[in-house]
Amino acid sequence: MVNNEITIIGRISRGSKMDQIYLPKRRIGFIPGEYVIISPLVNHLGEKELSVKLNFYGLKKLEPVKVNLIEEIVKRIRNKVKVDNIIFTGSFLEKGFRFNDIDILLISESEKSIEISLIKKEIEEFSGIKPHLICLSNKTLSSGLSNDPLYNLMLSKCVSLNKIIFNVKRKINYKLLDLNLLKSKNLIENFNMLNGDEKYYLTLNMVSILMFIQNKKLSKEIVEKEIEKLFDIKINDLKGNMIEESFILKYKEIFNKTFSLVLDNIKGEERK
Amino acid sequence: MNRNKLLTLFVSNLSNAVVHKILENAIDIPEISERYNKEIINSWNIAKRYREKINPVEKELADKEIQEIRKRIVNKVKSELRIRIEKGYENIDLESVEEVVEEVLKEMKIR
Repeated sequence: MVNNEITIIGRISRGSKMDQIYLPKRRIGFIPGEYVIISPLVNHLGEKELSVKLNFYGLKKLEPVKVNLIEEIVKRIRNKVKVDNIIFTGSFLEKGFRFNDIDILLISESEKSIEISLIKKEIEEFSGIKPHLICLSNKTLSSGLSNDPLYNLMLSKCVSLNKIIFNVKRKINYKLLDLNLLKSKNLIENFNMLNGDEKYYLTLNMVSILMFIQNKKLSKEIVEKEIEKLFDIKINDLKGNMIEESFILKYKEIFNKTFSLVLDNIKGEERK
Repeated sequence: MNRNKLLTLFVSNLSNAVVHKILENAIDIPEISERYNKEIINSWNIAKRYREKINPVEKELADKEIQEIRKRIVNKVKSELRIRIEKGYENIDLESVEEVVEEVLKEMKIR
Protein backbone atom coordinates (compact mmCIF):
# COMPACT_ATOMS: atom_id res chain seq x y z
CA MET A 1 0.00 0.00 0.00
CA VAL A 2 1.28 3.45 -0.78
CA ASN A 3 0.79 6.98 0.56
CA ASN A 4 2.98 10.03 0.13
CA GLU A 5 5.33 9.38 3.04
CA ILE A 6 5.01 5.78 4.08
CA THR A 7 4.82 2.58 2.07
CA ILE A 8 3.71 -0.76 3.46
CA ILE A 9 4.10 -3.96 1.52
CA GLY A 10 1.21 -6.29 2.25
CA ARG A 11 0.01 -9.59 0.95
CA ILE A 12 -3.57 -10.26 -0.08
CA SER A 13 -4.94 -13.16 1.88
CA ARG A 14 -8.00 -15.17 1.08
CA GLY A 15 -11.10 -14.60 3.20
CA SER A 16 -14.42 -16.42 3.25
CA LYS A 17 -16.53 -13.60 1.75
CA MET A 18 -13.90 -10.98 0.95
CA ASP A 19 -10.15 -11.14 0.57
CA GLN A 20 -8.07 -8.81 2.76
CA ILE A 21 -4.69 -7.27 3.45
CA TYR A 22 -3.64 -7.20 7.11
CA LEU A 23 -1.78 -4.18 8.52
CA PRO A 24 0.33 -4.34 11.67
CA LYS A 25 -1.35 -2.67 14.63
CA ARG A 26 1.86 -0.82 15.50
CA ARG A 27 2.45 1.40 12.51
CA ILE A 28 2.92 5.00 11.54
CA GLY A 29 0.01 6.50 9.61
CA PHE A 30 -2.72 4.51 7.88
CA ILE A 31 -5.34 5.47 10.45
CA PRO A 32 -8.54 3.38 10.41
CA GLY A 33 -11.11 5.13 8.23
CA GLU A 34 -8.46 6.70 6.01
CA TYR A 35 -8.73 5.98 2.29
CA VAL A 36 -5.72 4.29 0.62
CA ILE A 37 -4.70 3.23 -2.86
CA ILE A 38 -3.81 -0.42 -3.42
CA SER A 39 -1.63 -1.22 -6.38
CA PRO A 40 0.48 -4.26 -7.37
CA LEU A 41 4.00 -4.30 -5.98
CA VAL A 42 5.43 -5.09 -9.40
CA ASN A 43 4.43 -1.59 -10.56
CA HIS A 44 6.78 -0.09 -7.97
CA LEU A 45 9.70 -2.50 -7.87
CA GLY A 46 9.73 -4.20 -11.22
CA GLU A 47 8.85 -7.86 -11.56
CA LYS A 48 12.36 -9.26 -11.28
CA GLU A 49 12.75 -8.01 -7.74
CA LEU A 50 9.83 -10.03 -6.42
CA SER A 51 11.19 -12.50 -3.93
CA VAL A 52 10.33 -16.19 -4.09
CA LYS A 53 9.36 -17.75 -0.80
CA LEU A 54 8.60 -21.41 -1.23
CA ASN A 55 6.41 -23.69 0.87
CA PHE A 56 7.51 -27.31 1.30
CA TYR A 57 5.05 -30.14 1.98
CA GLY A 58 6.03 -33.72 2.88
CA LEU A 59 9.68 -33.04 2.11
CA LYS A 60 12.42 -33.43 4.68
CA LYS A 61 14.98 -31.85 2.41
CA LEU A 62 15.55 -30.96 -1.19
CA GLU A 63 18.88 -30.61 -2.96
CA PRO A 64 19.91 -26.90 -3.16
CA VAL A 65 20.35 -27.15 -6.93
CA LYS A 66 16.70 -28.21 -7.23
CA VAL A 67 15.55 -25.37 -4.95
CA ASN A 68 17.47 -22.90 -7.12
CA LEU A 69 15.93 -24.36 -10.24
CA ILE A 70 12.42 -24.12 -8.77
CA GLU A 71 13.01 -20.48 -7.79
CA GLU A 72 14.23 -19.64 -11.26
CA ILE A 73 11.25 -21.37 -12.88
CA VAL A 74 8.85 -19.50 -10.57
CA LYS A 75 10.43 -16.17 -11.53
CA ARG A 76 10.20 -16.95 -15.21
CA ILE A 77 6.59 -18.10 -14.99
CA ARG A 78 5.62 -15.00 -12.99
CA ASN A 79 7.27 -12.81 -15.59
CA LYS A 80 5.02 -14.32 -18.22
CA VAL A 81 1.67 -14.94 -16.55
CA LYS A 82 -0.34 -14.06 -13.47
CA VAL A 83 -1.11 -17.14 -11.42
CA ASP A 84 -2.56 -17.75 -7.96
CA ASN A 85 -0.10 -20.51 -7.20
CA ILE A 86 2.64 -22.63 -8.75
CA ILE A 87 3.03 -26.19 -7.47
CA PHE A 88 5.96 -28.53 -8.16
CA THR A 89 5.43 -32.23 -7.66
CA GLY A 90 6.38 -35.68 -8.95
CA SER A 91 9.68 -37.49 -9.35
CA PHE A 92 11.68 -34.25 -9.52
CA LEU A 93 11.23 -33.93 -5.76
CA GLU A 94 12.52 -37.42 -5.05
CA LYS A 95 16.02 -37.81 -3.69
CA GLY A 96 18.69 -37.88 -6.38
CA PHE A 97 18.54 -37.11 -10.06
CA ARG A 98 16.59 -39.99 -11.60
CA PHE A 99 13.71 -37.79 -12.76
CA ASN A 100 12.62 -37.52 -16.38
CA ASP A 101 10.72 -34.26 -16.16
CA ILE A 102 9.37 -31.60 -13.81
CA ASP A 103 5.67 -31.68 -12.98
CA ILE A 104 4.30 -28.19 -12.54
CA LEU A 105 0.72 -27.15 -11.75
CA LEU A 106 -0.29 -23.59 -12.48
CA ILE A 107 -3.27 -22.56 -10.41
CA SER A 108 -5.23 -19.71 -11.87
CA GLU A 109 -8.83 -18.62 -12.19
CA SER A 110 -8.16 -17.65 -15.79
CA GLU A 111 -6.46 -20.97 -16.53
CA LYS A 112 -7.87 -21.25 -20.04
CA SER A 113 -6.06 -18.14 -21.22
CA ILE A 114 -2.60 -19.25 -20.08
CA GLU A 115 -0.34 -20.03 -23.01
CA ILE A 116 1.34 -23.19 -21.75
CA SER A 117 3.48 -23.90 -24.80
CA LEU A 118 5.53 -20.69 -24.44
CA ILE A 119 6.23 -21.34 -20.76
CA LYS A 120 7.12 -24.96 -21.51
CA LYS A 121 9.53 -23.90 -24.23
CA GLU A 122 11.27 -21.36 -22.00
CA ILE A 123 11.65 -23.77 -19.07
CA GLU A 124 13.00 -26.49 -21.32
CA GLU A 125 15.44 -24.12 -23.02
CA PHE A 126 16.97 -22.67 -19.88
CA SER A 127 16.97 -25.82 -17.72
CA GLY A 128 17.34 -28.58 -20.28
CA ILE A 129 14.59 -30.48 -18.44
CA LYS A 130 11.24 -31.24 -19.99
CA PRO A 131 8.40 -29.75 -17.93
CA HIS A 132 4.99 -31.38 -17.66
CA LEU A 133 2.81 -28.36 -17.15
CA ILE A 134 -0.89 -28.13 -16.52
CA CYS A 135 -3.24 -25.29 -15.59
CA LEU A 136 -6.00 -25.82 -13.06
CA SER A 137 -8.52 -23.57 -11.38
CA ASN A 138 -8.67 -23.43 -7.58
CA LYS A 139 -12.00 -25.24 -7.81
CA THR A 140 -10.53 -28.14 -9.80
CA LEU A 141 -7.61 -28.45 -7.41
CA SER A 142 -9.84 -28.46 -4.38
CA SER A 143 -12.28 -30.94 -5.97
CA GLY A 144 -9.32 -33.17 -6.91
CA LEU A 145 -8.05 -33.12 -3.34
CA SER A 146 -11.49 -34.00 -2.07
CA ASN A 147 -12.35 -36.90 -4.38
CA ASP A 148 -9.27 -38.16 -6.20
CA PRO A 149 -6.66 -40.36 -4.48
CA LEU A 150 -4.11 -39.47 -7.16
CA TYR A 151 -4.34 -35.79 -6.21
CA ASN A 152 -3.85 -36.73 -2.58
CA LEU A 153 -0.75 -38.73 -3.48
CA MET A 154 0.58 -36.08 -5.80
CA LEU A 155 0.24 -33.24 -3.30
CA SER A 156 1.41 -35.22 -0.29
CA LYS A 157 4.88 -34.21 -1.44
CA CYS A 158 5.15 -30.89 -3.19
CA VAL A 159 6.70 -27.44 -3.24
CA SER A 160 4.46 -24.46 -3.81
CA LEU A 161 4.80 -20.74 -4.18
CA ASN A 162 1.79 -19.98 -1.97
CA LYS A 163 0.30 -22.04 0.82
CA ILE A 164 -2.05 -24.86 -0.15
CA ILE A 165 -5.22 -25.46 1.85
CA PHE A 166 -5.26 -29.20 2.50
CA ASN A 167 -8.18 -29.11 4.87
CA VAL A 168 -10.62 -30.45 2.30
CA LYS A 169 -13.23 -32.97 3.32
CA ARG A 170 -12.87 -36.32 1.53
CA LYS A 171 -15.80 -36.92 -0.77
CA ILE A 172 -15.74 -40.26 -2.56
CA ASN A 173 -16.99 -40.36 -6.13
CA TYR A 174 -17.10 -44.04 -7.01
CA LYS A 175 -17.50 -43.43 -10.74
CA LEU A 176 -14.26 -41.51 -10.73
CA LEU A 177 -12.55 -44.26 -8.74
CA ASP A 178 -13.88 -46.83 -11.24
CA LEU A 179 -12.32 -44.83 -14.06
CA ASN A 180 -9.01 -44.51 -12.23
CA LEU A 181 -8.99 -48.20 -11.34
CA LEU A 182 -9.52 -49.23 -14.95
CA LYS A 183 -5.91 -48.26 -15.69
CA SER A 184 -4.62 -50.76 -13.17
CA LYS A 185 -6.37 -53.60 -14.97
CA ASN A 186 -3.62 -53.31 -17.57
CA LEU A 187 -1.11 -55.00 -15.32
CA ILE A 188 -3.10 -58.23 -15.18
CA GLU A 189 -3.28 -58.59 -18.94
CA ASN A 190 0.09 -57.14 -19.87
CA PHE A 191 2.42 -58.28 -17.11
CA ASN A 192 5.24 -59.29 -19.45
CA MET A 193 4.90 -56.19 -21.62
CA LEU A 194 5.30 -53.63 -18.83
CA ASN A 195 8.51 -52.34 -17.32
CA GLY A 196 9.14 -51.97 -13.57
CA ASP A 197 8.16 -48.30 -13.34
CA GLU A 198 4.87 -49.01 -15.08
CA LYS A 199 4.09 -51.97 -12.81
CA TYR A 200 4.93 -49.79 -9.80
CA TYR A 201 2.65 -46.97 -10.99
CA LEU A 202 -0.31 -49.27 -11.68
CA THR A 203 0.08 -50.99 -8.30
CA LEU A 204 0.39 -47.65 -6.51
CA ASN A 205 -2.76 -46.45 -8.30
CA MET A 206 -4.76 -49.54 -7.30
CA VAL A 207 -3.64 -49.64 -3.66
CA SER A 208 -4.17 -45.90 -3.20
CA ILE A 209 -7.76 -46.28 -4.47
CA LEU A 210 -8.38 -49.11 -2.00
CA MET A 211 -6.91 -47.06 0.87
CA PHE A 212 -8.91 -44.00 -0.19
CA ILE A 213 -12.15 -46.02 0.04
CA GLN A 214 -11.03 -47.35 3.43
CA ASN A 215 -10.62 -43.70 4.50
CA LYS A 216 -6.93 -44.19 5.22
CA LYS A 217 -4.42 -41.36 5.07
CA LEU A 218 -2.54 -41.18 1.77
CA SER A 219 1.00 -40.29 0.93
CA LYS A 220 3.44 -41.98 -1.40
CA GLU A 221 5.40 -43.43 1.51
CA ILE A 222 2.29 -44.75 3.27
CA VAL A 223 0.99 -46.43 0.10
CA GLU A 224 4.41 -47.89 -0.69
CA LYS A 225 4.58 -49.42 2.79
CA GLU A 226 1.12 -50.90 2.25
CA ILE A 227 2.23 -52.40 -1.09
CA GLU A 228 5.27 -53.98 0.57
CA LYS A 229 3.01 -55.42 3.26
CA LEU A 230 0.26 -56.67 0.94
CA PHE A 231 2.55 -58.24 -1.66
CA ASP A 232 5.45 -59.13 0.60
CA ILE A 233 7.92 -57.46 -1.76
CA LYS A 234 10.36 -54.57 -1.71
CA ILE A 235 9.32 -51.45 -3.64
CA ASN A 236 12.72 -51.30 -5.34
CA ASP A 237 12.21 -54.85 -6.66
CA LEU A 238 8.88 -53.79 -8.13
CA LYS A 239 10.40 -50.68 -9.72
CA GLY A 240 13.31 -52.74 -10.99
CA ASN A 241 10.93 -55.28 -12.54
CA MET A 242 12.38 -58.03 -10.38
CA ILE A 243 9.15 -59.59 -9.17
CA GLU A 244 7.86 -63.10 -9.73
CA GLU A 245 4.81 -63.86 -11.86
CA SER A 246 3.11 -65.07 -8.66
CA PHE A 247 2.73 -61.35 -7.88
CA ILE A 248 -0.20 -61.32 -10.35
CA LEU A 249 -2.26 -63.72 -8.23
CA LYS A 250 -2.20 -61.37 -5.26
CA TYR A 251 -2.66 -58.40 -7.59
CA LYS A 252 -5.79 -59.96 -9.13
CA GLU A 253 -7.19 -60.63 -5.66
CA ILE A 254 -6.71 -57.00 -4.56
CA PHE A 255 -7.96 -55.66 -7.88
CA ASN A 256 -11.16 -57.72 -7.66
CA LYS A 257 -11.71 -56.70 -4.05
CA THR A 258 -11.28 -53.01 -4.92
CA PHE A 259 -13.43 -53.27 -8.05
CA SER A 260 -16.25 -54.93 -6.07
CA LEU A 261 -16.07 -52.24 -3.39
CA VAL A 262 -16.28 -49.53 -6.05
CA LEU A 263 -19.16 -51.13 -7.96
CA ASP A 264 -21.15 -51.95 -4.83
CA ASN A 265 -20.97 -48.32 -3.82
CA ILE A 266 -21.80 -46.91 -7.25
CA LYS A 267 -25.29 -48.30 -6.76
CA GLY A 268 -25.70 -46.41 -3.49
CA GLU A 269 -24.23 -43.29 -5.04
CA GLU A 270 -26.78 -43.30 -7.87
CA ARG A 271 -29.63 -43.55 -5.35
CA LYS A 272 -28.59 -40.38 -3.49
CA MET B 1 4.87 -63.69 -29.55
CA ASN B 2 2.62 -65.21 -32.17
CA ARG B 3 0.06 -63.22 -34.15
CA ASN B 4 -2.99 -64.59 -32.34
CA LYS B 5 -1.58 -63.70 -28.93
CA LEU B 6 -0.67 -60.21 -30.17
CA LEU B 7 -4.18 -59.70 -31.54
CA THR B 8 -5.75 -60.86 -28.28
CA LEU B 9 -3.66 -58.41 -26.25
CA PHE B 10 -4.32 -55.65 -28.77
CA VAL B 11 -8.09 -56.26 -28.59
CA SER B 12 -8.00 -56.36 -24.82
CA ASN B 13 -6.19 -53.04 -24.45
CA LEU B 14 -8.18 -51.27 -27.12
CA SER B 15 -11.39 -52.48 -25.45
CA ASN B 16 -10.15 -51.04 -22.18
CA ALA B 17 -9.46 -47.72 -23.89
CA VAL B 18 -13.00 -47.66 -25.33
CA VAL B 19 -14.51 -48.47 -21.92
CA HIS B 20 -12.45 -45.63 -20.45
CA LYS B 21 -13.75 -43.22 -23.09
CA ILE B 22 -17.40 -44.16 -22.53
CA LEU B 23 -17.13 -44.07 -18.72
CA GLU B 24 -15.50 -40.65 -18.88
CA ASN B 25 -18.69 -39.40 -20.51
CA ALA B 26 -20.83 -41.04 -17.82
CA ILE B 27 -19.15 -39.22 -14.94
CA ASP B 28 -20.93 -36.17 -13.65
CA ILE B 29 -17.88 -34.16 -12.63
CA PRO B 30 -17.74 -31.19 -15.01
CA GLU B 31 -14.06 -30.49 -14.48
CA ILE B 32 -12.97 -34.09 -15.12
CA SER B 33 -11.44 -33.24 -18.49
CA GLU B 34 -9.27 -30.55 -16.87
CA ARG B 35 -7.91 -32.98 -14.37
CA TYR B 36 -4.23 -33.45 -13.99
CA ASN B 37 -3.87 -36.89 -15.38
CA LYS B 38 -0.36 -37.76 -16.27
CA GLU B 39 -0.72 -41.35 -17.26
CA ILE B 40 2.65 -42.84 -17.85
CA ILE B 41 0.81 -45.93 -18.90
CA ASN B 42 -2.64 -46.38 -20.32
CA SER B 43 -4.51 -48.87 -22.45
CA TRP B 44 -4.29 -46.74 -25.55
CA ASN B 45 -0.49 -46.57 -25.39
CA ILE B 46 -0.15 -50.29 -24.74
CA ALA B 47 -2.55 -51.09 -27.60
CA LYS B 48 -0.37 -48.93 -29.84
CA ARG B 49 2.72 -50.91 -28.82
CA TYR B 50 0.98 -54.15 -29.81
CA ARG B 51 -0.31 -52.64 -33.06
CA GLU B 52 3.26 -51.79 -34.01
CA LYS B 53 4.06 -55.49 -33.85
CA ILE B 54 1.14 -56.62 -36.01
CA ASN B 55 1.82 -56.71 -39.74
CA PRO B 56 1.06 -54.87 -41.94
CA VAL B 57 2.02 -52.04 -39.56
CA GLU B 58 1.24 -49.06 -41.77
CA LYS B 59 -1.66 -50.51 -43.75
CA GLU B 60 -5.14 -51.79 -43.03
CA LEU B 61 -5.52 -55.39 -41.99
CA ALA B 62 -7.41 -57.92 -44.09
CA ASP B 63 -11.20 -57.49 -44.18
CA LYS B 64 -11.89 -60.75 -42.40
CA GLU B 65 -9.48 -59.86 -39.62
CA ILE B 66 -10.98 -56.35 -39.25
CA GLN B 67 -14.46 -57.83 -38.81
CA GLU B 68 -13.18 -60.26 -36.21
CA ILE B 69 -11.32 -57.56 -34.25
CA ARG B 70 -14.31 -55.21 -34.37
CA LYS B 71 -16.65 -57.93 -33.13
CA ARG B 72 -14.34 -58.94 -30.31
CA ILE B 73 -13.84 -55.35 -29.11
CA VAL B 74 -17.57 -54.50 -29.24
CA ASN B 75 -18.45 -57.65 -27.28
CA LYS B 76 -15.73 -57.10 -24.70
CA VAL B 77 -16.65 -53.43 -24.18
CA LYS B 78 -20.37 -54.17 -23.89
CA SER B 79 -19.73 -56.94 -21.42
CA GLU B 80 -17.54 -54.63 -19.25
CA LEU B 81 -20.18 -51.91 -19.36
CA ARG B 82 -23.03 -54.34 -18.60
CA ILE B 83 -21.27 -55.42 -15.39
CA ARG B 84 -21.54 -51.79 -14.29
CA ILE B 85 -25.09 -51.26 -15.51
CA GLU B 86 -26.21 -54.36 -13.59
CA LYS B 87 -24.70 -52.83 -10.46
CA GLY B 88 -26.84 -49.72 -10.93
CA TYR B 89 -24.34 -47.48 -12.75
CA GLU B 90 -26.38 -44.91 -14.70
CA ASN B 91 -25.67 -42.73 -17.76
CA ILE B 92 -23.67 -45.38 -19.62
CA ASP B 93 -24.32 -44.98 -23.33
CA LEU B 94 -24.26 -48.54 -24.68
CA GLU B 95 -25.43 -47.35 -28.08
CA SER B 96 -22.28 -45.33 -28.64
CA VAL B 97 -20.02 -48.40 -28.40
CA GLU B 98 -19.97 -49.26 -32.13
CA GLU B 99 -19.29 -45.65 -33.08
CA VAL B 100 -16.39 -45.28 -30.62
CA VAL B 101 -14.93 -48.62 -31.70
CA GLU B 102 -14.98 -47.47 -35.35
CA GLU B 103 -13.12 -44.29 -34.37
CA VAL B 104 -10.39 -46.12 -32.47
CA LEU B 105 -9.95 -48.71 -35.23
CA LYS B 106 -9.33 -45.91 -37.71
CA GLU B 107 -6.88 -44.21 -35.38
CA MET B 108 -5.01 -47.48 -34.97
CA LYS B 109 -4.82 -47.93 -38.73
CA ILE B 110 -6.72 -51.17 -38.51
CA ARG B 111 -9.21 -50.09 -41.13
